[in-house]
Amino acid sequence: MKKQMIISGLRARPVRTTVTILAVALEVVLILVIIGLTTGMTQETARRTAGVGAELMVQPPGADVLLATSENSMPLSLGDKLREIPGVKAVAPVMLKMNIKGGIEILYGIDSHFTEVSGGFHWLEGGPSKSSNEIIVDDLWAKDHSAKPGDKIKLLNTELTISGIVDHGQGSRVFMSMEDLSTALGQPARAGVFYVKVKDPEQVQGVKGEIEQVVTDYTVRDMKTLTSLYTSSNIPGLDYFINAVVAIALIIGILVIFLSMYTTITERTREIGILRAMGASKGFIVGLIFQETTVVCILGVIFGTGASFFIQRTLAAAFPTLMIEITRDWIARAAVFAILSGVIGSFYPSLKAASQDPVEALAYE
Amino acid sequence: MKTLLETIDLRKTYKVGKVDVQALRGVSLRVREGELTAIMGPSGCGKSSLMHILGAMTKPTAGKVFIEGSDIADMNDSDLTRIRREKVGFVFQKFNLLPTLTARANIDVARHIRGLKTDHDAHLAEILQLLMIEDKMGRKPAELSGGEQQRVALARALASKPSILLADEPTGSLDTKNSEIVLNMFRELNRKLKQTIILVTHNPELVTYTDRLIEMRDGLVVSDNDPIPPDADSELAQPARSV
Repeated sequence: MKKQMIISGLRARPVRTTVTILAVALEVVLILVIIGLTTGMTQETARRTAGVGAELMVQPPGADVLLATSENSMPLSLGDKLREIPGVKAVAPVMLKMNIKGGIEILYGIDSHFTEVSGGFHWLEGGPSKSSNEIIVDDLWAKDHSAKPGDKIKLLNTELTISGIVDHGQGSRVFMSMEDLSTALGQPARAGVFYVKVKDPEQVQGVKGEIEQVVTDYTVRDMKTLTSLYTSSNIPGLDYFINAVVAIALIIGILVIFLSMYTTITERTREIGILRAMGASKGFIVGLIFQETTVVCILGVIFGTGASFFIQRTLAAAFPTLMIEITRDWIARAAVFAILSGVIGSFYPSLKAASQDPVEALAYE
Repeated sequence: MKTLLETIDLRKTYKVGKVDVQALRGVSLRVREGELTAIMGPSGCGKSSLMHILGAMTKPTAGKVFIEGSDIADMNDSDLTRIRREKVGFVFQKFNLLPTLTARANIDVARHIRGLKTDHDAHLAEILQLLMIEDKMGRKPAELSGGEQQRVALARALASKPSILLADEPTGSLDTKNSEIVLNMFRELNRKLKQTIILVTHNPELVTYTDRLIEMRDGLVVSDNDPIPPDADSELAQPARSV
């Protein structure tokens, strides 16, 4: 019976119901897309970093897991030291430069050692750089920029020519020679990270220990654990950002539900009076309002989740390098937040409805 | 017949701004089980206030109200709600059907609140037949005439099997023809189902349909054509049973 009352109540006010569902959906979209974007970008970066093919990476002392924040402070001679360590097969120094023009990218300045570690690129078009001021890009970057081999682009105030397009997933989306990057930056060639390939993948931990003994102050990371390190708690400020997004979404949800239910209660004062006159308890009225809110929230969650996936696909088609990762975990959290906002938002209106005097409510016009 | 309802020195004072308005100034009356009673009086005489108190919708300022032996005057909101749910059926002048629900759903809501199964039983079937609205069940209030809406409201009030049916100006929003139909139905329900009914009206024509007429003026009962003597049934005058 309550189900019928709830459905007929929602259908009787289609505009209010639709707007409320859309507002809850907006809350869900806000959470799923923004969190999905931060998660997607960090996880994709982690996967690409791990995709270089190394088992270990050495970073400057106290370096963050995010390569974008690493300083190019390590001398290239450190690579020779690392190569001497038993169990090390290859070492590739990479000079890093974060580029925020036309999207956030970490440019990799590489030398011939990179191929020794990665096993070489999988070429889709064009080929390796043959002269200075040439760059290699991955297929997603090329698609995003509608670029092809031979095209000229301007990066770091330098005109560069695309020599080839490679399959994505091997560190960066844009590669150039370390020499060119050093020249473009006006800095001596130094490494921001050393990728280390070991002879026997079973001995990674042993080799890691050896490296840590040789280069005592440096940060040595195992690539297998890299993905798990790319979490919001390990990335400075990301936790605060996520919490802020969730809080804003929650506040939007609470305010919209509050306004919607408060308006409904006022509109339906007489109906509530009728129910109270028939002997409906306060609990019955509160339950009715809460259940109606829950239905709206559930519809909002369904619509919002669908809309989030639609946005994810639309953005992926329009901006191939933009990664939005919508996880089941966050869908569940978004649903909980949406329903929580519904409960909080409808708390006062439901109490107001339940405490209405039947005689006064029936006299309401 | 057994006394079903009794009020003793019932008083109700409203505060309008800084002024106290005495709606009831000591109403004492008794209503028998199965009786069809009309309470008549001019506007402002206190009959609606009396109806709201008898319907457990508001509390008196002073005095006692016994329904089937339970004094409802001092009950808390929760107990008053239970009385409305279990003992009282209410019919209003403006029908007060839930506009978004069909006639059937309006009746089912009352049964649901009462804790009865919403499947229609023989009792309800009899009511619907008596009220001649069996074929109107799928319609919403806006699709019904005033007379039909009032009959649905009547069915809703009776569907939860109340001890007493209170009707506040039940023909106040109806034309003469529909008023006559509805009043005849009140009488039929009283005769066939032995339903105790109290009608409140200011319309003198209505009283020809009732067994008993209680007249009110200025918050007091001024006449009663069939009063119950004070010693006729002392059982209910004692606030012994709790609900």
